[in-house]
Amino acid sequence: MDFLRPLTWDEALAYKAGRPEATPIQGGTDVMVEINLDKGRPAALLDLNPISELTGWSAEGRTVRVGAGVTYSRLIGELGSLLPGLAQAARTVGSPQIRNRGTVAGNLGAASPAGDSHPPLLASGAVVEAESARGRRMIPIGEFYTGVKRNALAPDELIRAVHVPAATGPQYFSKIGTRNAMVIAVCSFAIALHPGERRIGTGIGSAAPTPRRAVAAEEFLAGELDWDGRSALDPGVARRFGELVAEAASPIDDVRGRADYRLHSLSVMARRALGWAWKDYAGRGSA
Amino acid sequence: MRVHIDVNGERLAADDVWEGESLLYVLRERLGLPGAKNACEQGECGSCTVYLDGLPVCACLVAAGQAEGREVVTVEGLASGDDLDQGLDEVQRAFVEAGAVQCGFCTPGLIVQAHSLIESTPQVPEDADIREALAGNLCRCTGYEKIIDAVRLAATRKAQNKAAQKKAPR
Amino acid sequence: MTTVAMPNVGSALDRVDALEKVTGRARYAYENFPADLAYAVPVQATIAKGEISAVDVDAVLQLPGVIAAIWHANAPRLAPRNGDPELAVLQSSRVAYRGQYVAVVVAETLESASEAARVLRVRYDADEHDVELRPGHPGLYRPDHVNPYFPTDTEQGDPDAALAAARVVVDATYSTPAEHNNPMEPHATVAVWDAEGLTVYDSTQGASNIRDTLAPLFGLPPGSVRVISPHVGGGFGAKARAHPHVALAALAAKQVGRPVKLAVTRQQMFAVTGYRTPTIQRVRLGADADGRLTAIVHEAIEQSSTVSEFAEQTAVPTRMMYAAPNRRTTHRLVRLDVPTPSWMRAPGEAPGMYALESAMDELAIACRIDPIELRIRNEPDVDPESGRPFSSRNLVACLREGARRFGWAGRDPEPGIRREGGLLVGTGVAASVFPVYRMPSQATARAEPDGGFTVRIAAADIGTGARTVLTQIAADALDAPMDRVRVEIGDSALPPAWVAGGSAGTASWGTAVVRACEALMDVLHGRAGDVPPEGLEASADTTQEVRAQRRFAQHAFGAQFAEVAVDMDTGEARVRRLLGVFAAGRILNPKTARSQLIGGMTMGLSMALLEESVMDQEFGDYLNHDFAQYHIAASADVRDIDAVWIEEDDPGLNPMGSKGIGEIGIVGTAAAIANAVHHATGVRVRDLPIRLDKLVHGVI
Repeated sequence: MDFLRPLTWDEALAYKAGRPEATPIQGGTDVMVEINLDKGRPAALLDLNPISELTGWSAEGRTVRVGAGVTYSRLIGELGSLLPGLAQAARTVGSPQIRNRGTVAGNLGAASPAGDSHPPLLASGAVVEAESARGRRMIPIGEFYTGVKRNALAPDELIRAVHVPAATGPQYFSKIGTRNAMVIAVCSFAIALHPGERRIGTGIGSAAPTPRRAVAAEEFLAGELDWDGRSALDPGVARRFGELVAEAASPIDDVRGRADYRLHSLSVMARRALGWAWKDYAGRGSA
Repeated sequence: MRVHIDVNGERLAADDVWEGESLLYVLRERLGLPGAKNACEQGECGSCTVYLDGLPVCACLVAAGQAEGREVVTVEGLASGDDLDQGLDEVQRAFVEAGAVQCGFCTPGLIVQAHSLIESTPQVPEDADIREALAGNLCRCTGYEKIIDAVRLAATRKAQNKAAQKKAPR
Repeated sequence: MTTVAMPNVGSALDRVDALEKVTGRARYAYENFPADLAYAVPVQATIAKGEISAVDVDAVLQLPGVIAAIWHANAPRLAPRNGDPELAVLQSSRVAYRGQYVAVVVAETLESASEAARVLRVRYDADEHDVELRPGHPGLYRPDHVNPYFPTDTEQGDPDAALAAARVVVDATYSTPAEHNNPMEPHATVAVWDAEGLTVYDSTQGASNIRDTLAPLFGLPPGSVRVISPHVGGGFGAKARAHPHVALAALAAKQVGRPVKLAVTRQQMFAVTGYRTPTIQRVRLGADADGRLTAIVHEAIEQSSTVSEFAEQTAVPTRMMYAAPNRRTTHRLVRLDVPTPSWMRAPGEAPGMYALESAMDELAIACRIDPIELRIRNEPDVDPESGRPFSSRNLVACLREGARRFGWAGRDPEPGIRREGGLLVGTGVAASVFPVYRMPSQATARAEPDGGFTVRIAAADIGTGARTVLTQIAADALDAPMDRVRVEIGDSALPPAWVAGGSAGTASWGTAVVRACEALMDVLHGRAGDVPPEGLEASADTTQEVRAQRRFAQHAFGAQFAEVAVDMDTGEARVRRLLGVFAAGRILNPKTARSQLIGGMTMGLSMALLEESVMDQEFGDYLNHDFAQYHIAASADVRDIDAVWIEEDDPGLNPMGSKGIGEIGIVGTAAAIANAVHHATGVRVRDLPIRLDKLVHGVI
């Protein structure tokens, strides 16, 4: 095994171009588990820690560009108001020690259907900035997940940043687990209200081979909400929204939960998250 | 490969480090610092918690090469002496006095994590915050009650010490 | 027997080894580094049943750093004779369960050994396996006895007729899953051979026991084997006997002629270091309209492996808990292609009392009687099966004290009616019990010329506080201050002692320590306190004393109270409060004891809500074999938990007047929580753990 330590982003791209089989490592919270548990040995580790530009974030217009090295802890501490949905999800990732190392980009690289970042990224319409020596690509989040633990990255590409639209309305993340902390999601759900566009964003985790949106639910809800009057949520609408979210999922039975339970709890979470979000939205209007 | 790490204030070098090796392995097997424990190798138990550049992390998930040139503090580096009345960190002293130690295997990781919580919190943390901060440190013996007691005790004493220092005339 | 006056015993003293542990200086098994060390990594079977046809040893011997690859065709022969067949590692081509050791690779570094173990090709002729415990399994049989030596079945009166005639009958089947002990320290062994014989640094609950197991296996006299184990990172039964890795490490070290280090990984532990058998238990209770039991029937089925029989005593606590003229308990076992189950904290009592105490709750509801009152009405005067008197039995006092502290009075028994927002809230109670054991041990006590004392016994401190409590006991017996007494444990070179198991450590070792100290005091008095330059030593062997002890029925008792809140939309159940009240003789150190009891209760909470090793029927192994998927309670799961005790003066126990407290904390917790969940929601969960989906499906 080789240990590659690029000091700049261009060096990293050059390494990856020459050694496409090299595994990038940032927080190590997925890569090191694979190695420690002897699930396989990468030919090389490409350590991205020394590249200081990756640890920064910037607000560019209405979008926040989150560098691939920004940890969950920093996201929680620094981006809670710009990206509330993502920050909420970050708070539920592993333990404080894991949040001190793990990154959203790492979550994307691993592309596990249970990754906590995915639902809010889907709900807010994020774009993944991928780059190789051949050039840069902006991959819409909806096209990024291609299968169980598979993503749209080419072998020579690295994730440089994630571009997440700053919240223009309430955002919520909800996750069900067996324990009070340190849980991998039995299933999870994120909602984002985009009042300017009269649009709803959703994201479902752990309930399909890939994280996915509930498009029919989004469209239904966008048309039913009283965006201008901000009147109270119709319980029938909330219930239907929950049903449509569950219909978008295709969960399996596994050790963490049964498929029918996942469907049920998804509709519950969707209903609840909508309730919280709408309460915020309606409250802001009257204030 | 050769890896240099500042461990507990001392620049140490480890030779023949395998590239896939963890910081935890280097500390325990190569640098003679077995304080941090290996209990799950997947970041689920917190027994291997150490400071890396001032932040508590699971040493099992840091590749040894990633620690090159960085500062690591382990449980062995928290105390300046090992007398119960002198030299021990308040967290260590509180763990002894509160009876927060049983088999001792989760203890080093918990002490580093609790130390970090107290250092980063100006006031004495609420119990719920303590539980949340320690949620990634599993203990199979104690049921956590006396650990929470110990963290509260250490935080209170540290706050008192700080207050006393402020009051003291320069 | 009378208990002796003891100023240190009963005091909440700090743990004597806490300083070493908080500074990271305490050395555990894997942290020993003999010179010229090599690393061993085992290879585990990837089939659940069949034969190993070939192992491609030559290919891995070409890899850098690899010293040896050992399998049954090239392994040194062991002499397991009458010992545990699990320890006959690499002695046969047969595979009895997935995960069984089929080879071991030894290399210069852990990295080389791991890589070689990973790529080593093992060819199998696989047979069809059966890994499913199910009622009516054709392989069910009646074992000769259940752990350790209880009768398999018992019967009194005519339980079937009594059930048929009973006014109220509860007939329910409860099941508990396989659970894994998961001490925080994974098992590890460092084995060193020299001219004297074999030395192993091992993580064990009993150094003497491991020595006595290893010596005949390698054809050595016991004196040629030394087991060193000063600090042990928890065990909960998983380290009470030698598991195959100990033999494997010693075998590998012998083969390569170098010291060998072998760590069992967390994942490997799920196959090779024992676990609690899954159980299916049918409980039938017959009662009159006032809730007085006329019949108790408890029938348990369990699994063991095809390698060796471990029959858990699941229904044994039902033999002594409640009075009833007609009673039956049975145990049936089926040998499956699974790893061998073993002891896990309160084997028998933990799953058995979940079933019995859930059934008692169901009976209370059926009879419309408060569940505490129901238990009090069925309190026996003497041990119902043996007729022997109890040396002390304070279950009723525990129930009453717990009811007072918990605020039980005025509880509305109606289930599913207490709402707090979206939550349903309820409370539950269950009884706890654990038998009192005491086993022969030896100890020496030595007066040093500097005025200090050294007490030696091959006891083990697996986190219980044994080192501390034995120091307290010795100091009092020697009439010396604590800091003048040094207790040495954790080494088979010390006087042989019983394992840390059966909640019998302190009783067994403490008796030997007291007797050795008394003998030393006699010698000292005879010399008017004069200690010669070479010191003075006295020893004790409690074999006679323990065998002669009066045959009382002796048990510790307790009552556990739980309050839960259940989110009715998601099924998330959280334990808000947990209170245990125990009657366990004299509490020797309140600080260590309280932590032991709360720790047991927390493991019980974990058993109730989280723990379940899920068997993959297709591949025959446990699917969730790591901490990411096998969840144990974290600090955020425990909110308000307390353990208290009732003073109990029982002179019939041992010189300290103590009962064991290591296991009783886990007994009854799961039932108290399941009963509270029923009270909250109206859903009776009869199969642990109480998972979210079970509650949701109970109400939607």
